[in-house]
Amino acid sequence: MALEGLYKKIEAPFPLSEVLLSKADDEQLKLIAAESGTGLSLDEMKMLVAYFKDLGRDPTEVELQAIGQAWSEHCCYKSSKQILREFVFGIDSPRVIDRGDAGVMHFDTENVYSLRIESHNHPSAVEPYGGAATGIGGIVRDVLCMGCQPVALIDPLFFGRLDTPNAELPKGTKHPTYLFGGVVSGIRDYGNRIGVPTISGSVVFDDSYTGNCLVNVGCIGIARKEHLYKNRVGGIGDNLVLVGGRTGRDGIHGVTFASAVLTGESETESRGAVQLGDPITKEPVIHSVLEVGRRKLITGMKDLGGGGLSCVCGELAFAAGFGVEVQLDRVPLKEDGLLPWEIWVSESQERMMLAVTDENLEEVLHIFKFNDVEANVVGRVIPEPLARVFFKGIKVLEMDLKFLTGGPEYCRPREIRKPEYGTPEKAPARDVSHTDALLELLASENICSRDWVIHQYDHEVRGCTVLKPLQGALGHACHGDASVLKPVEESWQGLAVCTATNPWVMAIDPYRGGKAVIDEMCRNLVAVGARPDAFSNCLNFGNPEKPERLGEFHEAVRGMGEAAAKLDIPTPSGNVSFYNESETGSVMPTAVVLGTGIIPDVRKSITTDLKSDGVIYLVGRTGPEMGGSAYHRLTGASSPKVPDTDLEVLRDAMKALLIAMDEGLVSSCHDISDGGLAVAIAEMCIGGRKGAELDLESLGPLPEEAALFSESCSRWLVEVPRDSAERFEAILGPAATLIGAALGDELLITRGEEILVSASLTELENAWRGTLWRLMGGSE
Amino acid sequence: MKLEDIKVCILRIEGTNCETESYQAFERLGAKPEMVHLKQLTGQDVRESEKRSITDYQILMIPGGFSSGDYVRAGAIFAARMKTKLAAPMEEFIREGRAVLGVCNGFQVLVEMGFLPGIDGIMSPVPQAVLSTNDSSRFECRPTLLKYENNYNCIFTQKIKSGQVLLIPSAHAEGKLLFPHDRAEQIYRQLEDNDQIVFRYVDPNGEYAGYPWNPNGSPHNIAGICNPSGNVMGMMPHPERVFHRYTHPDWTRGFGSEIGDGRAIFESVLDHISKKF
Amino acid sequence: MFVADIRIKLKKGVADPEGKNTAKALELLGFSEVAEVKTSKFFSIHLDTHDEAAAKAQVEKICLALLANPVINDYSYDIKKVA
Repeated sequence: MALEGLYKKIEAPFPLSEVLLSKADDEQLKLIAAESGTGLSLDEMKMLVAYFKDLGRDPTEVELQAIGQAWSEHCCYKSSKQILREFVFGIDSPRVIDRGDAGVMHFDTENVYSLRIESHNHPSAVEPYGGAATGIGGIVRDVLCMGCQPVALIDPLFFGRLDTPNAELPKGTKHPTYLFGGVVSGIRDYGNRIGVPTISGSVVFDDSYTGNCLVNVGCIGIARKEHLYKNRVGGIGDNLVLVGGRTGRDGIHGVTFASAVLTGESETESRGAVQLGDPITKEPVIHSVLEVGRRKLITGMKDLGGGGLSCVCGELAFAAGFGVEVQLDRVPLKEDGLLPWEIWVSESQERMMLAVTDENLEEVLHIFKFNDVEANVVGRVIPEPLARVFFKGIKVLEMDLKFLTGGPEYCRPREIRKPEYGTPEKAPARDVSHTDALLELLASENICSRDWVIHQYDHEVRGCTVLKPLQGALGHACHGDASVLKPVEESWQGLAVCTATNPWVMAIDPYRGGKAVIDEMCRNLVAVGARPDAFSNCLNFGNPEKPERLGEFHEAVRGMGEAAAKLDIPTPSGNVSFYNESETGSVMPTAVVLGTGIIPDVRKSITTDLKSDGVIYLVGRTGPEMGGSAYHRLTGASSPKVPDTDLEVLRDAMKALLIAMDEGLVSSCHDISDGGLAVAIAEMCIGGRKGAELDLESLGPLPEEAALFSESCSRWLVEVPRDSAERFEAILGPAATLIGAALGDELLITRGEEILVSASLTELENAWRGTLWRLMGGSE
Repeated sequence: MKLEDIKVCILRIEGTNCETESYQAFERLGAKPEMVHLKQLTGQDVRESEKRSITDYQILMIPGGFSSGDYVRAGAIFAARMKTKLAAPMEEFIREGRAVLGVCNGFQVLVEMGFLPGIDGIMSPVPQAVLSTNDSSRFECRPTLLKYENNYNCIFTQKIKSGQVLLIPSAHAEGKLLFPHDRAEQIYRQLEDNDQIVFRYVDPNGEYAGYPWNPNGSPHNIAGICNPSGNVMGMMPHPERVFHRYTHPDWTRGFGSEIGDGRAIFESVLDHISKKF
Repeated sequence: MFVADIRIKLKKGVADPEGKNTAKALELLGFSEVAEVKTSKFFSIHLDTHDEAAAKAQVEKICLALLANPVINDYSYDIKKVA
């Protein structure tokens, strides 16, 4: 064997080896990296060799594993950091209070809110139920460890087409219906049980996700300012108290698994990397952590996520400029016989680390015992910036925290392609009437009703959900643009929450796609009456070692950063997920944002459903920008011309619309996105149980399909009571075009004399409602 | 007694998760709610200062959630833990005419403990009913409409007009109220005779209807019942979620009053207790 | 030490939505032979006692105290001695 003699046994009452990197050649270094499961590259192994050469010794296997975790893409963002720094980290605002495991934003004089979204893609592709559930667990801890009460969950999901024939599935890939069903059940059973409402999300179906589904999970928290905590210890001598679930072999190498491409063997090889969740440990953990936080019994805290104890101990202590000494014997285990390196890097769920002074220790331990949650002192803060780890009296790791937590950073080669090189101009492959196209779009997987999912999630627990994901007449409610929470008992101020993504546009033109995502987020928030305040992003891309993939990432981030900077919307937290590739290729570049907005008074929130017999305005300009549109996908056409955002036009339109809304001039509002104007008005009709007549003559000389189905950015449909029309026009100016009125029980869209679309309310609703029930089963 | 002297025990164990909004419902009306962990009543793992007695309170509410994960059966573990330690004091509490409210998971707990329907005395030694898996076999979070059908036996609904339809949302996976198969109709008639049926699911026209307006398939559309003396009530839908009009699902479509449909339940019981004690 | 394998079934005549919906899902997945699906719960409980009669009495109590609701459930069990 090629590695013989490179592992030297150390005298200890348990198996422990020294890894003789100093004696290994390049091939052997690569083999060690592979065999240990750390996934380190040869260059990174060489950095290790140099580091230990200076120390005059070789690493223990615990040290090797710790580095493998800390330096994974998932933990240290080595491929993305430089690009993110260039385009988004700089967008600052006095409203940003902290950028920790979750971003923290100003809410009002007494309160803050926190937000974060991250991916849980690879575990969910292998075991959808457990993968999604633990994704929820992880994101909730990110918010919790800032000292915030989790108040909302948000879940954008991406799968292959539900009608994919089994024969077309790559080897080892599970069918999209199985993955979709499992992921929704996982989110439902975990989110509902911990009592945090799932208020927003999205589901996208496309062939590019068949081999690698994407499961993004977001969470919002709220706290009084004085109850906020930093993800760092308070001072030397603080006890490190590990609370929550026990440590086991589940979740070993989760982060290295997340930082590799999925293969046909991923399932059998990676089961160990999928953790199992336990919501009924989590609920009392939330309770106890918030109580010790509110009573100021801790100095700081952090959740155990990727990298387990190894990352959390190092980062908690190092962030305060100190070090840490840990006794692994004191970590309660799920099963006997775990090796020290396994305890050190395990990613078992439901665990948090608190820093507690000697003085408060007894009270903290009592509170956890009272709530039946295990809590154990496992270490102590030391003055030297080192991690020192013992197991059964033997030192198994001693490393400089700067080296361990620093991690490498790469400026990898990237190739930025112009969209016209990749996407040909192609006319529709089939001829379909506009009415049929509208009905087919409404019934399509990506536009149809999500009620099959939404009713399985408790979206009102905590009693604060003012606008729900489904809005409109009882029994006919349709999709809203954003949900609204009233998170503080004493105040009417609301927090609007939405998601936005458009992978089809981003696949054609990542830069414009990046801008379009921010545009969509702003549209969604403004549609309910909220001022966009912040966003968290989850960037799901392919293998960054391929220049073309990293080029997509670069351009997408550039577009998002440019838009967010111009609109003054900071991004206090985010997550990058690379290596979303399988044997059938990469996923479409998928930037997902979780947007938040502030509504000064929730009683002024606006929903999408038509209310009365108001007049209808189109806000924004429509162009023949059909690239990446739902209409093109439906008809088999393609074009490199994707919607572009004029950021000044967007900013002015948002401002004017919000003024009109504040004055009470708007009775309903819907952003125009997938399926264009025709789908937007159809949804408003369905939710409002009301027809509409629109004349698109005033949109100018556009092709008919562009007038109806273009997905040009920065547009809304707005219903205004007739007696408010004059004032509305005065505020909006030329940005608003009067195109019709709400009336009758039919949707009629004309251009001058010519009828483009004519369909009854029942036809629209029937087309829109049944698709997911039919594909997923269950009685409607 | 004065409203501000009425003490409400909001009882929780691990997995209870509607305690905050339940607490707020009572607090907003001026009463004194307190969140109490079951261990504070049983005396386990608690300090002297944390111990509580059920007789400290006039109202006991068991809120919604997933107590102990709803493992085994919804509410069963919470009920079994209470039964071993608190059966006698609970019986006394109810005999004295104090109020017990169980919402959603709390309803399931009261049924599993034998306090509801309570036709053979205050507490039956074995459960006489069960809240069984929804017909859809799914968790159902959706708006539900409840018709008030009690003839003022129930102390939680005195401020609701006879025949009034309230919008009170549901969110549960096990809400189908079943009685022993061989005696189901007989028990049902007893409930009617005793004026124990409080709410039934109806559609927007006020008619008894099937799924989704009856979200779980409960026979006779029963959504909530009380015991024969009217001071123990259990219901699947969540009144605490619609205390204000602004958490109704369709409030943006216009409304008459800012008061939410769930508020009357909390007002009624506080009013009753303040007069009685 | 004894192990009790306890099965909690739905009584005859009680609807089994989980079974019904599983059957429907299997049909959707192409298992056309599936005629009926019934669900039950299975608990395996280790009892630290040396007396089989005592173990049996314990299991009866456990079933009545928590595992079964007599309104809808029947229960049955096997008790085996283990080392």
